[in-house]
Amino acid sequence: MTITENLFENLRLELRRGCLTLAVLAQLKQEHYGYTLRKALASRGMEIDESTLYPLLRRLEAQGLLTSEWREEEKRNKRFYRLSSDGEQIFARLLEEWNQINTSITNLL
Amino acid sequence: MELLDRYLQAVKKHLPWERQDDIIAELRANLEAQLEDKEAELGRPLTKEEAEEWLKQIGSPIQVAARYQRQQFLIGPAIFPTYSYILRLVLAWATVIYAIANAVAIAASNLGGEGVLRAALRLPEIWLINAGVVTLIFVVIELTGARFPEKFHAFGPMTAPMTAPWSPLDLPPVGAGDGDWAKPRSFTRALLEVFFGCLFLAYLLLVPHYPFLLLGPGAWYLKALPYQLAPVWWTFYWLLVGLNAVELSWKIVDLARGAWQRPRNRARHLAMHALSLIPLGVLLAAPEHKLFLLKNPADAAVHGAALASANKGVLQALTIVVAIVVLQLVWGIVRASLDAYRKRLAA
Repeated sequence: MTITENLFENLRLELRRGCLTLAVLAQLKQEHYGYTLRKALASRGMEIDESTLYPLLRRLEAQGLLTSEWREEEKRNKRFYRLSSDGEQIFARLLEEWNQINTSITNLL
Repeated sequence: MELLDRYLQAVKKHLPWERQDDIIAELRANLEAQLEDKEAELGRPLTKEEAEEWLKQIGSPIQVAARYQRQQFLIGPAIFPTYSYILRLVLAWATVIYAIANAVAIAASNLGGEGVLRAALRLPEIWLINAGVVTLIFVVIELTGARFPEKFHAFGPMTAPMTAPWSPLDLPPVGAGDGDWAKPRSFTRALLEVFFGCLFLAYLLLVPHYPFLLLGPGAWYLKALPYQLAPVWWTFYWLLVGLNAVELSWKIVDLARGAWQRPRNRARHLAMHALSLIPLGVLLAAPEHKLFLLKNPADAAVHGAALASANKGVLQALTIVVAIVVLQLVWGIVRASLDAYRKRLAA
């Protein structure tokens, strides 16, 4: 990887990092477990690696934005996540911020 | 699937122990569901090569486990500025203390150049040990803070550089960071420097004729002693006079040319500092290490031992002085080089 490509990759990851959190919070208004969440995000054009998504869910839960519970589904124990009440409030504020940034960037371009 | 079991086992090894089982159970459920989907899509189980490729895409066990780690750095941004400051301070003081201790030891054991070389070669080890200890202490502080955040306020002063309240009015004036070097001098100050320079040179020239100017009442006491200064002190004296005369001439020329308002010339100051080592070196290199001699060589049996002790003691003190002057010079050169580098970067 050249220096320019490396720089682009770093900046791309930095740009995506915040967007991924927003996308996950948006998708978890409905309950999901890790794999179905990943599929749901991918079907809407937001591909996320397993090694990024699953730890992210844990972090968001530790921050109080998600709640989770272990439940059996299709003869397998799975951990289901959804937005907590705090998560809903934070998500609404983040969404507002996102829309402002989006508008500003569109205006700048 | 055996390969998946092996993969999860490898991931588990690198997870925080208190959450290992929970994380692995979740990861297993997700990966097995993904595997089932893949196999349903293909209508057959994955071949060994396909399974291998799939797990490779997920990432190496260490990488996957690392994403679950809470702590990603040894010393975080909250205490890093304090760490950096303390580290520099400790390294500087360790160097000074080490240099002085070795100068004394070398002088006492008469090891000379070999001792200096040995001490210099051990300096990186001293730096490494000190840096290691400081780093270890800060790592412990960081880990404690991360594990018990509610108790982290105990380390409040550590995070002060990042969190302390501040006022723009407390900021130092522009150029203060450069010390005296960037400040223009006033005419009065330049004139006073020349005046006191002349006064000091006159004083130096009078000292040999009126020793009490240097030693006070001790001058008469010295006369009564059976010892006298070795001739090397005259060389030292005239070099000292010469250095002061050169510095004074520079100041007078600056004043005459109207260049007194310019900030002090740092390179010139460093050069004078380096030159000041010459007279000290002359004393250290005194013939047979004798700075004092007997007025009457026949008194050697009575006063010889005391004279040898005096010579040794003064030479040891001189070695320490030289070590300090050298360190000051090195520090001055390092600071000047860093400032020049910063200015070049800013340009």
